[in-house]
Amino acid sequence: MSTVSTAKAPARVDRTTGPRPDRGKRRQVRERQWPAYVFLSPWLIGALGLTLIPMAVSLYLSFTDYNLFDPPHWVGLRNYTEMLTDDPRYWRSVGTTMLYVVVAVPLKLGLALGVAMLLRNLNKGRAFYRSAFYAPSLLGASMSIALVWRALFNDGGTVADVLDTIGIHTGGWVGDPHLAVYAVVLLTVWQFGAPMVIFLAGLQQISPDLYEAAALDGAGRWRQFVSITVPMLSPVVFFNLVLEVINSFQVFTPAFAISGGDGGPADSTLFYTLYLYERGFTASHMGYAAAMAWLLLIAIGAITLILFRTSRSWVFYADEEGR
Amino acid sequence: MTPEPPNGRLRLQSRRAVLAAAAAGLGTALTATLSGCSAASGGTAGGVTLTFSWWGNDDRAARTEKAVRLFEKEHPGVTVRTSNGEFGAYLQKLATQAAGGGIPDVVQLDYRQISQFAGGEALMPLDALIKRRTIRTSEMDHGFLRTGTYEGGTYALPMGRGITGYAYDSAVYKKAGVATPGPGWTWQDWQRANLRIAALGLKSPDGRPFTGANDGGTNEDVFETWLRGRGRNLYASQTQLGFTEADLSAFWSFCDGLRKEGAIAQAKDTVQAKSTETSPIGRRLAAADFTWDAPFPGYTALLGEDIHFAPVPTTDGHQGAYFKPSMLLGIGANSEHPKEAAQLIDFLLNDPRAGDILGFSRSTPPNRKIAARVATTLKGPEREIYDYAQTMEKYGLDTPPTAPPPGDLAIQAAFKRGYQRVMYGMATPRQAARELIDEANRELRS
Repeated sequence: MSTVSTAKAPARVDRTTGPRPDRGKRRQVRERQWPAYVFLSPWLIGALGLTLIPMAVSLYLSFTDYNLFDPPHWVGLRNYTEMLTDDPRYWRSVGTTMLYVVVAVPLKLGLALGVAMLLRNLNKGRAFYRSAFYAPSLLGASMSIALVWRALFNDGGTVADVLDTIGIHTGGWVGDPHLAVYAVVLLTVWQFGAPMVIFLAGLQQISPDLYEAAALDGAGRWRQFVSITVPMLSPVVFFNLVLEVINSFQVFTPAFAISGGDGGPADSTLFYTLYLYERGFTASHMGYAAAMAWLLLIAIGAITLILFRTSRSWVFYADEEGR
Repeated sequence: MTPEPPNGRLRLQSRRAVLAAAAAGLGTALTATLSGCSAASGGTAGGVTLTFSWWGNDDRAARTEKAVRLFEKEHPGVTVRTSNGEFGAYLQKLATQAAGGGIPDVVQLDYRQISQFAGGEALMPLDALIKRRTIRTSEMDHGFLRTGTYEGGTYALPMGRGITGYAYDSAVYKKAGVATPGPGWTWQDWQRANLRIAALGLKSPDGRPFTGANDGGTNEDVFETWLRGRGRNLYASQTQLGFTEADLSAFWSFCDGLRKEGAIAQAKDTVQAKSTETSPIGRRLAAADFTWDAPFPGYTALLGEDIHFAPVPTTDGHQGAYFKPSMLLGIGANSEHPKEAAQLIDFLLNDPRAGDILGFSRSTPPNRKIAARVATTLKGPEREIYDYAQTMEKYGLDTPPTAPPPGDLAIQAAFKRGYQRVMYGMATPRQAARELIDEANRELRS
């Protein structure tokens, strides 16, 4: 299989029946396509009505002063210039988000890989542990878990009480601007199950022959990890890294719940998306919020591109071998 | 070429597969945060369903539900679907609903929302319904009714007349030898009271030092009362602040100093307070709290009969408190049942039985007859806030300020944030004040 061909997904229904369709056949193909679009229509309507059209409207609104109540007026680039040059909180939110991404993503991926390595060698009960570790990923994005998290890290909450008994007096992480962001980080790291399942699948794909051969040549466990596991797993690491970075820039629910919606105390949990939400829904500056959303999209796109560029030097694709 | 992996195994062995997955992840960037908002709407077969939403504590919620159930009983075929929430979340939800044209049929509003909602055509003009006497206003003060008007039309009716005050634990005050606070007590008296209470060395249930009061530094209402005591207002006009960097920095330095001395609540307890229950006074970490008259009965319900209601301190006897509509009631512009909605409003405001049930849960009722009638039956904390309002009226209050500009909500949030930065040493009072004024000016400009 080559990676060069361009994909035109829905039009290629009948490829397998003949070597090359003639004219009449092509029309037949087209006639036979409409049921496909009928069945796709719920999705197409959704994609248009819930994603593409709102995105276009949001792009337009980002150049206006829309405030939810009055009709929007065109203000050109004012929203963009104001946030970049005249809004200290904007940069504070960028800083908080970057800190979060830089701390949470490596922690989460490291934990996911570590647990996946342990589970790989487990013969009994692997399915159980895999499900058990995966469960938080299913629950973690919900508001209710975030509220429970807030209760855990509140003053008088479980975490503060436990730390108290071992002599560390925090008085509640949520109330401390230096700790609050780490309550959010921990909530994210706790959801390491999703990348872990992917790591586990990737680990199982590495041929045991490689390890056997390495062991015969006298490679120790560490050597095997560095020389076989890491390169063979690098596409999966890369995949998880890209997804986690993208998701982390968009973290919202835990920050909203843990700070009580205002990014406090003292803006310490003012994540980018939370500030965006506050601009839009508390201060009613929807145009400004839309502009923030577009800058976020551009920033995530740029960072993803950079990750792809660097990946050439450290990601090893088995199917590109020898090219 | 690699052999195909067996079915069900992971396939990420090409750059393109990773790219596709990344693109899918990116696509959610714009839509992720904005999901989860929905508008309320009603309609059941046969009868009329009204939606009615408000904010407030459990006591107010229970009373409002009871009054609504009585209304339903008297109007067969009308069902009222109620929803209530915490103030901040409520305002956001309502703004979103307003933009979508779907605010509830009957809706409780804050003073700050009136000009924006009425100007944005989210509220129905009530003048015709008042003229037809579907909503009766004859027993209400006409000057006070003006608080719900916008450009000559009536868009909302006040549900109560509120005033700021100070809930304090009289037993602790007595123990500390502090005189009962009167309408003329000053900020210096307040400072001394807090220092004395802290000097008692009392402990909270979790063994921490007991302080004199909640820290008012995050609370814009407290600053407003402090400022008015010095003869100024929060806003000089709809586009201009009425105070300077020096005013705000003086106020914040005052609070900051007292907190550092241990006389008022600690920073972490102030920032973790989300309700009366979780505030320092509710957790028995402090003896007093700045509040409004309407929520005061909730304090005694939580903390017992020793809690009493006093005025906010003055500057040399100059009282900064004023009467303000505690909240207003309006009808959503797109309501399908304006008549029934108006009947519900009229019932809540003018029916003596509803008056009895609601009591003073939204401050003094605007209907004079009901206020007088309810006052005779009032006991305990409700009697106390009624008497308090009378005392304050006699003491003499400055004229109320004009309705706050639309940017006020954002400025209120900035106020809380600014002082949090002071509390955690992230900014000096002067720096934080400068930042707030810059931000406020940006809000008022746009």
